[in-house]
Amino acid sequence: MAVSIGVCYGGYGLDLGTLHDPGSGFMFFWVGIIMIGLSIGLLIRAIKRPAVAGELKIFRTGIRWGKVVSTLVALMLYAYVFVPLGFILSTVLLLIFLFKAVEPQRWSWAILGAMISTLAAYGVFHLWLRSPLPKGFLGIG
Amino acid sequence: MEFLNYLGIGFSVALQPINLFYCFVGVFIGTLVGVLPGIGPVGAMSLLLPTTFKATPEAAIIMLAGIYYGAMYGGSTTSILVNIPGEAASVVTCLDGYQMAQQGRAGPALGIAAFGSFIAGTLSILGLMLLAPPLSKFALRFGPPEYFTLMVLGLTILIYLAHGSMSKALIMAAFGIILGLVGLDSINARPRFTFGKMELIDGVGLVPVVMGLFGVSEVLLNIEQVVRRDVLRTKVKGLLPTVKDWRNSTGPIARGSLLGFFLGILPGGGAIISSFISYAVEKRVSKHPERFGTGAIEGVAGPESANNAATGGAFIPLMTLGIPPNVIMAMLLGAFMIHGVTPGPLMMKQNPGIFWGVIVSMYIGNIMLLILNLPLITIWVQVLKVPYKILFPLILLFCLIGVYSVNNVVFDIYLMLIFGIMGYLMKKFGYEGAPLVLAFVLGPLMENNLRKSLIISQGDFSIFFTRPLAAASLILALFLLISPFIPGLGKKRKVIPKEEVL
Repeated sequence: MAVSIGVCYGGYGLDLGTLHDPGSGFMFFWVGIIMIGLSIGLLIRAIKRPAVAGELKIFRTGIRWGKVVSTLVALMLYAYVFVPLGFILSTVLLLIFLFKAVEPQRWSWAILGAMISTLAAYGVFHLWLRSPLPKGFLGIG
Repeated sequence: MEFLNYLGIGFSVALQPINLFYCFVGVFIGTLVGVLPGIGPVGAMSLLLPTTFKATPEAAIIMLAGIYYGAMYGGSTTSILVNIPGEAASVVTCLDGYQMAQQGRAGPALGIAAFGSFIAGTLSILGLMLLAPPLSKFALRFGPPEYFTLMVLGLTILIYLAHGSMSKALIMAAFGIILGLVGLDSINARPRFTFGKMELIDGVGLVPVVMGLFGVSEVLLNIEQVVRRDVLRTKVKGLLPTVKDWRNSTGPIARGSLLGFFLGILPGGGAIISSFISYAVEKRVSKHPERFGTGAIEGVAGPESANNAATGGAFIPLMTLGIPPNVIMAMLLGAFMIHGVTPGPLMMKQNPGIFWGVIVSMYIGNIMLLILNLPLITIWVQVLKVPYKILFPLILLFCLIGVYSVNNVVFDIYLMLIFGIMGYLMKKFGYEGAPLVLAFVLGPLMENNLRKSLIISQGDFSIFFTRPLAAASLILALFLLISPFIPGLGKKRKVIPKEEVL
């Protein structure tokens, strides 16, 4: 609902134009209005018939929330250090974490797997496809 | 004669060594993602889109199209051997395919799936060759009102066919349109919803959106629980179906091909819906419907043919009108645009090499797939044994590098992660990603055609009702939108997949 109102407001601010010559905000405004209507409908339905525990997939038991959150945090951190650390170092660290911490495996496999995968990806994207990957402070790559 | 000339152009393009290579890579990766549960053709196409930037437009589209129809072939392997569909269009193949495997008939099940797919794929390409040229000529008469209303209809059909609530699908489509419009206004170059970020001036990228919604979110869903995959331990042998198997399968393959092709043209589920309907049809026409679900070969032959035929059909609206009928075609439209090619009625005249080259490559790709899926089946069985704990970091790695290498900006990685979280939560709360992505791609085209229509008509909305095709499209779209409120029809929409199939 909040997003819909924001879209409407933003669209209005962008200039609606006229029906003869619709402006930049015309589509935003009217799609925003439709979204508000739909949100109200969904809200009313949710109030009339609240979901019971277990009905929504999010409330199911046996979900390993720790794995999901730790993976997401690792990915966010990866994006943060990607340029300063460089592609190779940051990717090896991320893969060791994913191989070891999220789905535990032997250290030797985690380190070796991370290094081989990183070098293979580096070979394909940087050497073959000439995609510029960050070198980082170590200047590797 | 003209047709044969174009076909000659197609062969000369498709048979170039580099295009054969891209075609092989496409169908190989397609089979791989079809075999591996957890990554579908949409995810794979978005992952590999950046690798096509250095290729020619025809090579890029040949490879991406190969991933699509290759995944349809590969999906059946997992359904038959593991009872887990490799991708959504192979869900029904589990019902009889896995039963056949348990009875020691995994070979004929895999064999008929591959042969049926080949026959249906080939027939649908022939259909595409025959239907696309006249439709392209007809589409030249379309103006902005026709395009706008056709896109509204396409989106409405997709929303209508969505699995859950229509309101949720509608809200996703509306959100997709908004996302698609972020960036510079195509008419007056005014920045819209860019929040001062230079990275958003060109709009939100298709790759971060698709990779987030279909790649990252899928990985998150898979790691949140322990998934057991028991691959059938018996050796796969006797891939060639017997004469009796062929006799039982000929009808289902023919019906599946026809159904799949025509349903593929319609916006919406395409391959998925056609496989379900084919199964329902086969069960209905069978003299022994009680055999279905216990290992009937017709239950494998029909749906597998239908989902492959649908891939050919789905190319028709994209190639002739420039309107993608489903998310995968939306990805292909994105790929066409990146390579500076605009699909639509003029494509056949302006870029005959690409148009006919892609079509002919699909025929060659089908032959490659038959070779990949029959003699090399043991390799795919080995691939199935790769544990997910090894697979998921690699999928994430490909997503990360893939999304970065499109524009070489870290912002896109953040964007992908945001859409990954969003996609994960959407699945938890019963919202579908497909209407969002299709609307995201169609949004700018819809806005452009709506504004042009209103400028032409000087603000008179009756332009959408006085032109026959535009009026028919709008009326049909309106009917589909209000149908849930019509007693009887709304109920039917909810029960079709389960009741008809099981």
